[in-house]
Amino acid sequence: MPELSKENIDYIIKDLYQRGLLLDGLQEELIDHICSAVEDDMSSSKRKFIDSYHIVIATFGGTEGFQEIQHQTIQSENSKLIDMLQNYFTIAFRNLKKQKFYTLINIAGLAIGVASCLIILLYITNELSYDKRYTDHDRIYRVDTEMKFGDNHLLMANTPAPMAETLRKDFPEVEVAARFWNNASMIFRRTEESFKENYTVYADSSVFRIFDIPFLAGDPRTALKEPNTMAISKKAADKYFPGEQALGQTLISNDGQVWKITGVYENIESNNHFYFDFILALVSVDYHRDTGWLGNNFTTYIKLAKDAKAEDLVAKFPKMVLTYAGPQLKSALGADFSFEKFESQGNKLVFTLRPVTDIHLHSDRMGEMGANSSITYVYLFGTIAGFILLIACINFMNLSTARSSNRAKEVGIRKVMGSLRSHLVRQFLIESVLLSVGSFLLAIVIAWMVMPMFNELALKQLSLPFASPVFWLLLIGGALITGIFAGLYPSFFLSAFRPVNVLKGNVSMGTKSGIIRGALVVFQFWISIVLVVGTIAVNRQLDYIQTKKIGFNKDQVLIVHDAYALNDQLHAFKDEVLSDNRIKSGSISSFLPVNGFHRSDNVYWPAGKSPTEENMVSLQNWGVGHDYVKTLGMKIVQGRDFSNDFLSDSSGVILNETAVRMLGYTNENAVGQRITTFGADASDAKNYLVLTIVGVVEDFHFESLRQNIGPLGLFLTNTRNMIAFRFEAKEAQDVIKSVENTWKKFGPGLPFEYSFLDEAFGRMYSAEQRLGYIFFIFAVLAIIIACLGLFALTAFTAEQRTKEIGIRKVLGASVSGIVVLLSKEFGKLILIAFALAAPAAWYGIDWWLESYTYKTEIGVAVYILAGITAFGIAWLTMSYQSIRAALANPVKSLRSE
Amino acid sequence: MHSSELLKGTLQTIVLKVLKDHGRMYGYEITQRVKELSDGRILLTEGALYPSLHKLEAEGLVKTEIVNIGKRIRKYYLLTSPGKILAKDRVTEFVDFISTMRSVLQVKMN
Repeated sequence: MPELSKENIDYIIKDLYQRGLLLDGLQEELIDHICSAVEDDMSSSKRKFIDSYHIVIATFGGTEGFQEIQHQTIQSENSKLIDMLQNYFTIAFRNLKKQKFYTLINIAGLAIGVASCLIILLYITNELSYDKRYTDHDRIYRVDTEMKFGDNHLLMANTPAPMAETLRKDFPEVEVAARFWNNASMIFRRTEESFKENYTVYADSSVFRIFDIPFLAGDPRTALKEPNTMAISKKAADKYFPGEQALGQTLISNDGQVWKITGVYENIESNNHFYFDFILALVSVDYHRDTGWLGNNFTTYIKLAKDAKAEDLVAKFPKMVLTYAGPQLKSALGADFSFEKFESQGNKLVFTLRPVTDIHLHSDRMGEMGANSSITYVYLFGTIAGFILLIACINFMNLSTARSSNRAKEVGIRKVMGSLRSHLVRQFLIESVLLSVGSFLLAIVIAWMVMPMFNELALKQLSLPFASPVFWLLLIGGALITGIFAGLYPSFFLSAFRPVNVLKGNVSMGTKSGIIRGALVVFQFWISIVLVVGTIAVNRQLDYIQTKKIGFNKDQVLIVHDAYALNDQLHAFKDEVLSDNRIKSGSISSFLPVNGFHRSDNVYWPAGKSPTEENMVSLQNWGVGHDYVKTLGMKIVQGRDFSNDFLSDSSGVILNETAVRMLGYTNENAVGQRITTFGADASDAKNYLVLTIVGVVEDFHFESLRQNIGPLGLFLTNTRNMIAFRFEAKEAQDVIKSVENTWKKFGPGLPFEYSFLDEAFGRMYSAEQRLGYIFFIFAVLAIIIACLGLFALTAFTAEQRTKEIGIRKVLGASVSGIVVLLSKEFGKLILIAFALAAPAAWYGIDWWLESYTYKTEIGVAVYILAGITAFGIAWLTMSYQSIRAALANPVKSLRSE
Repeated sequence: MHSSELLKGTLQTIVLKVLKDHGRMYGYEITQRVKELSDGRILLTEGALYPSLHKLEAEGLVKTEIVNIGKRIRKYYLLTSPGKILAKDRVTEFVDFISTMRSVLQVKMN
């Protein structure tokens, strides 16, 4: 076999090099291969070297063939993932370390965004989890009532007493029905010391067949069967019987009744639409046998049979109303009553079913078991969280693309060295995933730190579920997805560079992607400005509410709760407190002009006439004591307040101006007129009650400003849930002390609870206050993140234009001129953002304010203020970098040229 | 000549088996040996062989030895222990495959 000569081999090496075969390892191998093949060919065919060589080259497929082999080899070698990943990671870490400033801003911005998102996601999950714990939660419904009668339109979560029993008896679809009644506070004692319990309720024994609350002791099926028995929560059991078995023990309520504990249940969790520590047997109260269909005082829940449909059942309700409520309406409204006529006049008595899982987010009716939330908040929070995350991601993309020119050379060299585009994409994606994972880790720390603050704000007890694998899975998934999405655009953008252009130096990428970057900045500031306008508007409305003339004096009124506990000592207690000259007046009552207090109403018409649709007015019935108007600082416009001097006041009434107007009187002629209502026994049509108007009180707001002032009457009765005292301004703490001492004297062992009327008034708007805070916090966060981005972007532009600035300065540009030059670009974007944000914000605020009957004007000033705020903050952010660039000595920037 | 479509999935098996039987071999030698064994009916293309060899190397199934012969460098491939196991498995697997194909295609072989 002929051996190839040295020259021949040299020829082959040179030729293959020129054909682009460069890869270490493969190159030598192929040379040997070709040499061997040529030698074989020469010996078998007796051809000359050069001819054999060309034949062998042809079997490879020529130059393309070699390159293909080379390419394929690189790919199959690189498929060994670990090595490659390690390489990507090393390079990524080096790059991130080299660019500390941008890395920091990226991570910080994204972490804030993710932390907000995380918290809000927890909040939303919690909101959506309400009442889902019960085994048959999809079959549990609450019966709601809609009542419309004349001007009165009531949406209630309550039903008449006989509703539950009727449903169970008449409809096979209903598996179980149960009622709650009188969800209020009570006072209990075991021996001497009494405690006030805020979460007590009466319930039918079947209630645990609907809500399967786990029992720790006792039998849920029999727990509430006997009168004067009750089931209590673990919390209550631990409070009254620490270290003892509570089952079978007794507690004594304030009225002297002894209650036997027949069950101890696990504390009801917070994501439940009701919470009770004491559930008392409803059979203990005679009222539970009430047969009236016109009063609504019971909350009725039903569990449907497995195959029953709620709609089918609701369709049968009108007939039930006709059968049971019809006769009672007829006896109340007179002989000529017919249900058709009743309805044709626009009146309504309609019962509906609401799925128990809908209550927390969708129900806002009179007589709810507790304060519900609203799905609007869930949407609002969700949107805001999404926006903030978006702002953070935009920062990320903007910074990465802006920095691209710094890395263009790197891309060019990598490509020349044989990097494929997919390698570069992977490299950049890994960098961005690293950043995103870092941000998520930081975000967990941030979220963990601000959680307590958020809980306070949102009235929740949320915590990060560190033990849940789903939580970690979500986080890891979130980090990867965010990293990939945020890195996708920059990585494809960068990897598309052509090495020839880049290495020649004629790609200045900083400006090429300017339009997209500009749009993203506009979007960021659009969100920020909308949030700022929202914040200002909500606070304006709150301010308006707080300072609006509300018709009574909410300041300096002390309310002592649970006055009934003093029994016959009550008046003596009141008199003794009043003997203190710092207390100006006091009044025993159950009603206060803030919502959340008991309400009831009744229909009235002018005495001497028969009741008709037109002349009947439904008045709020407020049972009050003497000096009520004086104590609460309302204004009598005609007549007088109730007074001890007039014994006849027990059949007197004080009306508000709205009631006077609706009954057809005027302020001047109302006093002395008489009005009539049905007597206590609704079945006796002629049992009327006549009252004389003794005074007219100026309209005052007794509900939230969302509502109009309705007709209202004050009646002198012996209701005694609380005593209101008006006191001198300065010594609030002393006054409380002395009132408390007096209370202790008259009711030893009874808990003393008090509040101030202005606080209760403030609480009426706690939803608005919360909304205000939340808007404020998120607006601040949005602006911080957006400004972080802007800061880095300006830094980048300034860096890129260092030489330009140097030359301008040499040619005589002033510092201020250069600052303007640098700020102009982004300033313009913020102006555009403002122009786009103003209408959106206006629309949103308009929609929100629509729910208020009394609302503030949101003038142009608010928008201008928001615009200036955003612009000012943005300008401050930019100015640091601009001024620094402008002040730099041109010698430094131009020296290297 | 067998069609390259048919050969595609068997390349690695052939390479592994040849290396198993002969110990140390270099690229050209492998092509020649396969040609010889198949009476010229299987021609391994260089474009398929070398990437495949490099892949096997990257996966740790073969290792290489470099020998200087004058001006040229010759790279020998030999199986590592996981490579030997894999070679055996692949052959068994392929025999199975053939018998399956025989029943699928309803043909008789000796």
